Amino acid sequence: MPTITIDPITRIEGHSKVTIQLDENGDVQGARFHVTQVRGFEKLCEGRPFTEMPALMARICGICPTSHLLASSKACDDIMAVRIPETAEKLRRIMNMAQITQSHALSFFYLSAPDFLLGMDADPEERNIMGVVRKFPQMARDGIKLRQFGQRVLETLGGKRVHPGWIVPGGVSHPLQAEQRDAILAEIPEALRITRSALQWFKGQIENFRAEVRSFANFPSMFLAMANDTNEFSAYNGWLRFVDSNLNIVADHITGTDYQNYIGESCNDDSYLKSTYFKPLGLADGMYRVGPLARLNMCQSAGTAQADEELAEFRELERHSVLSSFYYHYARLIEILFSVERMETLLNDPEILGKNVRAHASPNNFEGVGILEAPRGTLIHHYKIDQNGLIESANMVIATGHNNLAINHGVLQVARQFVKSKKLEQGMLNRVEAVVRAFDPCLSCSTHAAGEMALDIQLIAADGEVVDRMRR
Amino acid sequence: MAAPRALLIGYGNTLRGDDAIGPLAVERLRGLLPEAECVSCHQLGPELAGQMAAFDLVLFLDASCDGAPGTVNLERLWPDAGRAASLTHHVHPAALLELTQTLYGHAPQAMLITGVGAAFENHQGLSEAAVRAIVEICRIAPRLVQSFPSLW
Repeated sequence: MPTITIDPITRIEGHSKVTIQLDENGDVQGARFHVTQVRGFEKLCEGRPFTEMPALMARICGICPTSHLLASSKACDDIMAVRIPETAEKLRRIMNMAQITQSHALSFFYLSAPDFLLGMDADPEERNIMGVVRKFPQMARDGIKLRQFGQRVLETLGGKRVHPGWIVPGGVSHPLQAEQRDAILAEIPEALRITRSALQWFKGQIENFRAEVRSFANFPSMFLAMANDTNEFSAYNGWLRFVDSNLNIVADHITGTDYQNYIGESCNDDSYLKSTYFKPLGLADGMYRVGPLARLNMCQSAGTAQADEELAEFRELERHSVLSSFYYHYARLIEILFSVERMETLLNDPEILGKNVRAHASPNNFEGVGILEAPRGTLIHHYKIDQNGLIESANMVIATGHNNLAINHGVLQVARQFVKSKKLEQGMLNRVEAVVRAFDPCLSCSTHAAGEMALDIQLIAADGEVVDRMRR
Repeated sequence: MAAPRALLIGYGNTLRGDDAIGPLAVERLRGLLPEAECVSCHQLGPELAGQMAAFDLVLFLDASCDGAPGTVNLERLWPDAGRAASLTHHVHPAALLELTQTLYGHAPQAMLITGVGAAFENHQGLSEAAVRAIVEICRIAPRLVQSFPSLW
């Protein structure tokens, strides 16, 4: 069977490739997203004291170490059976909002903006961040500034932009100082301005991407995200909920103790990335999506004024849930807006400077689960320890794994829409990459590896002959 | 004449042995060059461009495995569009200069100072060669700042 291979996919976090199989007539018959790197963090942490896990797990990725730090610390809180001080929880929430801000800014401005600003069919030599810098310098400056804002919050609280510490089992290691709070608050108006400006710009561009809206992983699926009693956007506390594409609740109140009854993980022969699925329906029918699109579909309100206005407009895109994965980009911008507004609210809370920020305890459970909404979606850390507090086993379910079935389905949909011959063309190739990019996959932690993406597409004929190949 | 506005950026992975030469050198230089702004980071990123635009000169401090362990190499840098296509992982300092020039209309004069290390495995702590390199960097960097711009 003829196959096109895109290896590696560019402008995503990690190494992967795509293969597209053609039938005898040259029509697309199948497509697969393969992740070609492995790291093995779940194995290497065995035998370590559970208290080391947050710092160790943060090393899994340079983009979202804070998310792993938070999920890991929550799992350790569970092992210690402690309720962390309120101030500590608020400080952790600020860290999570800052992480969402900097990660979404990276995805939108650095990785995907070249497609929006320069066009899907632009010369790949130009269709990169420097192309944006040259032709749209204000947008580039804004993107840099917004990501810098998120990183500065992480650095102010956690001590470092990449691999910060500070979040520990039981809370955080030290309180926030008034001058640190004031320094962050001073930057918030500019962060809000940039985000609102980017949202206005993006909404004006949607009409130019109708073909991509139609074909970028645009299909009915279930969605998974964190939920709570108020049905407000939730990224730190709550339980898990599955809804169908009409937003009917399929499963609810899923917690760390029973997530394995609902979430199955399947290994693949051709990828180091597991496929996660809704267990009651099985691997074949259990596809769902997580991340910004799922969260905005799931919540009834954001809980902040400006984000709620944007959310209301976002909901008007489609009758029930928003199904096109092209809108992940739109959802990311709304989530940045929410995150910056929420940070401002939390920082203006008088309790935020409280001095009681850590609970201390020995292990009280042999098992702990931490669940968090990371920028790319639901993140689960699950640890088991022995009598001495050493890790016996660890399981991490990562957002990109949750989305793997949908990414594969999306690649096939795009390939069927845009691959029309045995000859590879740049615009086609970029759209196949761009649908992967819409999910903002981070392969460092999902497979549990690190590196940069490149691109290799092979077009393979029915008899196995490579009829065309593109690499960069 | 007013002292030049100098920015020192030391970068590297402090968990990979001698790759910590840059961050550790810049920490020592904080005391030796109190008038300079010092930044220690894991890796270079586009976010540094806005900061760089406000300075007359930038010294990039990095580790290298090219050359005799313990030695120090200097390389004058200019904005380089050819290196600036990606700007995600492995950002070269010349790419940052290009970004700074393009976005902010001014790129500082710049020098890359690399100390040649001997051990880059997963561990903390420096080899004897890396310690020698840091001592040498801390001797050279103040001279480069103090001689700016006359000897540049």
